[in-house]
Amino acid sequence: MALYFFTPFIAIILTILGGGIIFYILGFNPIEALKFYFITPISNLYGFSELLLKATPLCLIAIGLSFCFKSNNWNIGAEGQLTFGAIVGGGVALLFYNQEGFYILPLVILAGAIGGMIFALIPAILKTYFNTNEILVSLMLVYVSKLILDYLVVGPWSNPEGFNFPETRQFSDSSRMPLLFESLRIHAGIFLALAAVMLSWFILYKTYLGFQIKVSGLSLKTAKYAGFKGKTMILVVFMISGACAGLAGVGEITGPIGQLHRMISPDYGFTAIIVAFLGRLNPFGIIFASLVVALTYLGAETAQIFLQIPKYTGQVFQGMILFFLLASDYLLFFKVKILSLKKNELRH
Amino acid sequence: MATDLRISNISKIYPGCIANDNVSLQFKSGKIYALLGENGAGKSTLVKILSGVISPDNGEVFLNEKNLKLSSPLDAKKNKIGMVFQHFNLFETLSVFENLSIDATEDNKSLRLRINEIFKKYNFSIDLDVPVLNLSAGQKQKVEIIRCLLRSPKVLIMDEPTSVLTEQETEELFISLKKFCDEGILIIYITHKLKEVLSLCDEVAVMRKGKVVSVSQTQNEKVETLANKMVGQKLAKIKKKINISKNKDEIFKVKHLNFYSDDPFETNLVNLNFSVKKGECLGIAGISGNGQNELFQILSGEIITPNTSIIFRNKEIAKLNPKQRREYLMAFSPEDRISQAAVPELKIYENVALNNFKASNFFEKGLVNERKIKDHSKKILSDFSVNTDNVELKSQFLSGGNLQKLILGRELITAPELLICYNPTWGLDVGAINYIHETLIKINDQEKSTILISTDTEELLKLSDRIAVIYKGKLSKIMSSGEVTPEKLGVLMGGGSID
Repeated sequence: MALYFFTPFIAIILTILGGGIIFYILGFNPIEALKFYFITPISNLYGFSELLLKATPLCLIAIGLSFCFKSNNWNIGAEGQLTFGAIVGGGVALLFYNQEGFYILPLVILAGAIGGMIFALIPAILKTYFNTNEILVSLMLVYVSKLILDYLVVGPWSNPEGFNFPETRQFSDSSRMPLLFESLRIHAGIFLALAAVMLSWFILYKTYLGFQIKVSGLSLKTAKYAGFKGKTMILVVFMISGACAGLAGVGEITGPIGQLHRMISPDYGFTAIIVAFLGRLNPFGIIFASLVVALTYLGAETAQIFLQIPKYTGQVFQGMILFFLLASDYLLFFKVKILSLKKNELRH
Repeated sequence: MATDLRISNISKIYPGCIANDNVSLQFKSGKIYALLGENGAGKSTLVKILSGVISPDNGEVFLNEKNLKLSSPLDAKKNKIGMVFQHFNLFETLSVFENLSIDATEDNKSLRLRINEIFKKYNFSIDLDVPVLNLSAGQKQKVEIIRCLLRSPKVLIMDEPTSVLTEQETEELFISLKKFCDEGILIIYITHKLKEVLSLCDEVAVMRKGKVVSVSQTQNEKVETLANKMVGQKLAKIKKKINISKNKDEIFKVKHLNFYSDDPFETNLVNLNFSVKKGECLGIAGISGNGQNELFQILSGEIITPNTSIIFRNKEIAKLNPKQRREYLMAFSPEDRISQAAVPELKIYENVALNNFKASNFFEKGLVNERKIKDHSKKILSDFSVNTDNVELKSQFLSGGNLQKLILGRELITAPELLICYNPTWGLDVGAINYIHETLIKINDQEKSTILISTDTEELLKLSDRIAVIYKGKLSKIMSSGEVTPEKLGVLMGGGSID
């Protein structure tokens, strides 16, 4: 059991070692490269704020996904739910682009959550009533939502004064997340993430819904035998998951971005899957995991600037984390046995 | 050529349990040896050591005075030790011949010839080209045996071979085993069925708690003496007085139960009609795989079938799910303790919360009332003598018997009017079986009813007031248990008809 929570650390250490080897093969000094990657980005206050900024959407989405994954529902489309949440939330923000008012931001946030929820309901309803595979449906819907966003920012929603750039107007200040510190980008969205952590802990461990999720995840046969309403539960976990992803999307566009354009998310929705598993689907584990994975985003940017390595190395690191996590989980219960050659020779 | 197998001072220690404690035994070909013991007595460990699946911490195995190093099943094969496990290791969708040819070293033509020779010699007849899933349990077992025979074994170990067989199939098996024995194959027969030991074997070794407690000639033994050696204490005989009063109310009535499935691994049920009276135990006999699974799930509400009528205490419940049926005071104990009735990874009290009926208040306004669940669980643990009082313990650490007591306790503490159980004593030792049987009889004594779906005919004859047999999804007529004999049941279970 202790080992179960320990393997994420093994995975992280192996990832760092693996990264060092890759840097070495690419001809860099591995120690220095790793320093640029993992230490330089957070060596000042600004860097630390950036870390929290990137960890916020990851944490929110991963919390939502943990509801799905714990109950054996494989929602892979958080990126699509994030995008659709951002579209709906952004639409509301654009409605109020020239207005001020304290009520605007809550409306925008709510709209984002509802947007994500609706988009997550599509694979959920198809799964419960038409027996489709939620992995495929939710994944394909990611591209649908991205194309919808593309159409909107190029077409009807594009900024009339924007010289045909594929982007909308800037949101009014009343639609923007309040910044926590002057001159740092970290914003109030982090409280949404923290609230989601506390709430999910409460739901998962203290409510009947959480109990049903736990039982269904361990044994669907038992859930059926106990008479849990399986269909309702699938719909509920997808709605929770979609709402969280939608919140993450709306947090991005009302936070650091301030408008809608094509690139609102560097695949946070996909990366959050890694975060959810690295955090062991445990709300507090997910906080830790989101910080670690956020660092790979920052490190990739720093490495691009200082070492001229493409920032896609960040994805390499994220992939390695998942790979090593799965591998160490798989090998956790293996016994390593070293057979001496002599003994083998005698036997043959 | 005579074979002589000697086990010398074998010990195997698992954390917290000594599975084999200095076991020494000697076997000689020309005889059939029984290895008798309760679940957990150490038989399986010993057999696994002999077949190379696990290696002992201490001790040696000698075959014809040659010290064997059995570090993998392959070593056992090389040394001509064959093993037929209780659960078949066959690929269901492959044909019989494909299954047999998987680890053969010769070409298909000569393999077919050799298989046909074996068929002739032992009077077997199985179509080699049908998929294994179309075979009966007895035929599947024959395929396993043929697989061993193809390697001309010196030792053949049979692990609880009759648990899935009909009476007729059992007799056929015994005839074959005696033939093998005459040909000089050393046979070790593992079982906890006493009558089989007496009718088949020449010598019997009894194991208890990892030790060999007795080795004797079967002709000097009786069922009672063997049982006492096996259990280590005098068994109190339980008897049930049969509830013959005919004018009691029908509490549960099933009409037109039909079930059709596209899944070839499921059995279709054809027009089942039956009823259960107050205080009665209705037994449903049958070899596993004849529709019991499907029947249980339909009775519990896990599967809802159209056009079926199920009346319970004068209410139509055919459309209700298991949770709703529980509210009407039904209770269910499925066959699969480990992945259906309970979840091993959950703590005891969490498993208790699975039977969440309204009056329990386990979950008030959607919140977990942990105290209530734990208090309730403690009561179950003490009322049903589960050997722990720690409700935080994960259920995977309970033995099969204790887990079953917990499950039955959970289902019975609501004082249900009808308990439906499916193989409640499957894989349990004699002590636990006795306890469960006593409990089930007690329910009937309190005028509550039970439906007992079981593959164990002895259990059915002991507990039921009326018995029906399910075969290929059809139910035989319901007989009062007075007119039923094991032979009659065996005929019906094997698809024959009586009178």
